[in-house]
Order: sequence, then structure tokens, then C-alpha cells
Amino acid sequence: MDIDDLLAEVTADAVPQETRDLQELTRCWVAERVAPELLVWPESLMERVLARVRSQIELVEEQTGNMDPKTNFKLIIIQTELERFKFLVRSFLRTRIAKIDTHPLHTLHLHTSQPTLLSPSELSYLTAHHALLSNHYASSFLSQFPASLQKLDDTTGGISMIDSPDEHKAVFVRCLRDVGVVRVDGTEREFEMRRGDVWVVRWSAVRQWVVGGDCELI
Amino acid sequence: MALPLPPGLTPPEVAFLCEMELVTVIPRQRLEGLELLGGPSPPLNPPHRASLPLWLALLLKRQRRANILPPPWLTTLSLTALLDHETEHAESFSPPPRLPPAPSPTTLPFTPPFLQSSTAEAPPDALPYHWLELGEMLLEGASDDFEEPDVVRRLLRGLREVRMAKLRRGVEVLDAAGGLQMNGVGGMELSEGRAFIGGVIDGLRKINASREQARRDRDREERENGFGGTADDDYDDDEMDMR
Repeated sequence: MDIDDLLAEVTADAVPQETRDLQELTRCWVAERVAPELLVWPESLMERVLARVRSQIELVEEQTGNMDPKTNFKLIIIQTELERFKFLVRSFLRTRIAKIDTHPLHTLHLHTSQPTLLSPSELSYLTAHHALLSNHYASSFLSQFPASLQKLDDTTGGISMIDSPDEHKAVFVRCLRDVGVVRVDGTEREFEMRRGDVWVVRWSAVRQWVVGGDCELI
Repeated sequence: MALPLPPGLTPPEVAFLCEMELVTVIPRQRLEGLELLGGPSPPLNPPHRASLPLWLALLLKRQRRANILPPPWLTTLSLTALLDHETEHAESFSPPPRLPPAPSPTTLPFTPPFLQSSTAEAPPDALPYHWLELGEMLLEGASDDFEEPDVVRRLLRGLREVRMAKLRRGVEVLDAAGGLQMNGVGGMELSEGRAFIGGVIDGLRKINASREQARRDRDREERENGFGGTADDDYDDDEMDMR
């Protein structure tokens, strides 16, 4: 580590936690919008962000009665920013729900092996929604089928009934740290990704670095 | 409740990201620093310059409380030079702004829109990630802060066309494996090209799927048998040496 690295670290630490959280939330949102599969729920980040949003709403509620034009204008700015934050959070959550809805059984299976994937409310949504749906299918038509054809998650016969996302989909990534040589599985393609590079590459080939924070999806 | 949009950012979402870029403003009124959710905003004391996110700068501008200082790369001189560079180098985009010092393994790396690539101190010779969106938004909301807004608008359009032509020409090198480098591409350009580029790569991959599967099976077999190459490969290598 030389003097530049030390300086960089000091400047990065000087950035307030709020700004770092905004960068992280934005990155999570973009990644979730772009990635073909559901990513791990960023628990501590969301806790901090939601707590701040709550206290900001309280502040706005307290000060709305104030008719002083100067405070009023400050309040407009604060509210505008609040709306922007709420949009980010809402869009992030809705993207996750869209993915959960598309692949409910797949997500449920993944969550059992990797319990940090879903937030508690997402898990209860998924289980309740899935229970309702399978009850409905069973009562409306499945019960009239032969018993061997009633399953919704049959994996026998070499074909799985459980849909899963296309993990080889092409994504755009930006490299945040040098990651070295990337190999695309099943092909001869090999290339080196350096910091600052932008590549179009299969999600399966770069997933480990995106999850590890060395690359970001764009 | 679930988001009905397809994967990949839509142009309005890219514009939303761009509104977080910091720009330099010259305030006309005092305003105390505010504790915002994204970090404290600096106090505004005319005539001292301050860096604010674009959405706030445009809000202040609309209410005539501040003027926006266009970034150095968004001037007639810089844009003309950049346009020349783009036209001369037909095969790649002009290089993006220089990267900030490398982050250590423990710190959070910052990327656009949180790099200061559009403030008054930004480098004049490189287009940042959100160049097109930022230019358009400034021209729309603060055209009177430019010296020659019409020339800037024309140069931006020229740049956009040259770069879109490159993006389209790049389609010829697309193949199933992906792995295409696109340094210097802009956020809005990416959002426009994503569906097509992604679609071509994914489509080609599906056509090639059986060949890839065969290759994967062969690789696995080789690993399990415990030797690197088959006899045929060795034979080929010898042939090459003799030539």
C-alpha cells in the first residue's frame, strides 16, 4: 500500500455514511433491474435507509404547519429528495417481487439453501402467495386430474417443471477492481477485465465478482 | 404491484440516475445547509460556488435562485475537439474520464453518477458516463447559462450520431460467447442498445447451445480422466511445430 492508497482511503472515509449508502442503494437497484436472477437482500443497508426515510417523514410532518416562507422552501427540497428516495426503494422492491412472481418455486428452493436471499416480508409474501395459488389450482382443475399428474414441481422424467431464470443472459458490467482473467464457460473466450472497463458478458461468467462487489452491473 | 418493466434500465430511469450527478451552481440567494437523506447539502452563500446534485440545481434554477455552471466538457471548444476525435477514430469511443485513485479492498468504490465528472473542476477532454442526458437536461432547464446553447446542442447531436453509428457497426463483431469490450459507452446509449445487443448475443447462444454442451461434456470428461489433452491434440501440436 503506498501513499496514494492511503490518501484514497482517507478521502473515501471522509464521505458521509449517507452518501455511501445512496451509492450502494443505487448500485443495488441497478443490479436488481439488470440481473436475470434475484440477488441477496441487502439487509443492513435497507435497515439504515428505511430508518432514515422514516425519520425524514416525521420531520416533514412536524414542520408542515410552519408558514415561514424560508422554512417552507427548505421543506420543498427535503420532500423532493424524500420522493426520489421513495422511488428508488419502491422500484427496488417491485423489481424483486416481479422476479419472485416469475419463478416462485425456484426462489423458494434457493431460499432454503441460502436463507439471506429474501427479506422476512418477501418470504411471507412468497409462501402465502404460493399457497393461495396452488390451492386455487387444486380446487379449480388439478383435483380432477389423475393423482400422478397433480404435482406443480415434478422433476422426474428429465424435465423439471420448475422454471428458473436464464443465468447465461448477456449483461453489461463495469469493473470496479482488477479481477484478472474471465473465462466464459463452454466457449474458448477468455479475456482480462481491468478496473474501469465496461464489458458485455454472460451473467454466469461474472456473477461471482458482481456479488463480491468487484464489478457492478450497468 | 410487481414492476411490469422489462430487465434493463429504461431511458427515464437513466435520466433519474443522471439527476444525481453533481454540478456546480452559483447561488443568487442564501440557503442554509440541509440534512438530506443522501448526505448533507452545502450551505449556499452568494457568490460562492457550490456543488449540488442536478435535480436540486435544476429546482433552484427554475425558481431563479441559482445559476448552473456547465461542466468544462460541455463547451463549444471541448465538444468540437471531442467530435473530431470521435470522427477520426472510427473503431472505438473516445476514452472516458480518468479514474479516481483505486479503492482499497475495504472501501466502497464510487462510480457514476457519484463521481464528480460534471462539476466545474471536471476534465474538459473526456465525455463522462451520463454525458448525453446531462447535456440535454442542462440545455433544457438552463440554456441561458450557456454561451452558445444552439452550437452546443448541434455538437451534442453530432456526437450522438457518430457514436450511435459506431454502436451499430459494433454489432458485426457480436457472437455467442459475449465478452465484448465497450469502454467509454454512455448510459443512455447503453439503454438504447441493450435490448438489441443482448438479444443478438442471447439468440446466437441458443443456436450454439448444443455445441457448447458438447464442449462442456468433453472438458468434464478430460478432467475426470486426469490428463489435459487427447492424443489428437498432441498430434496437431507436432504438426504445427514442423511447419
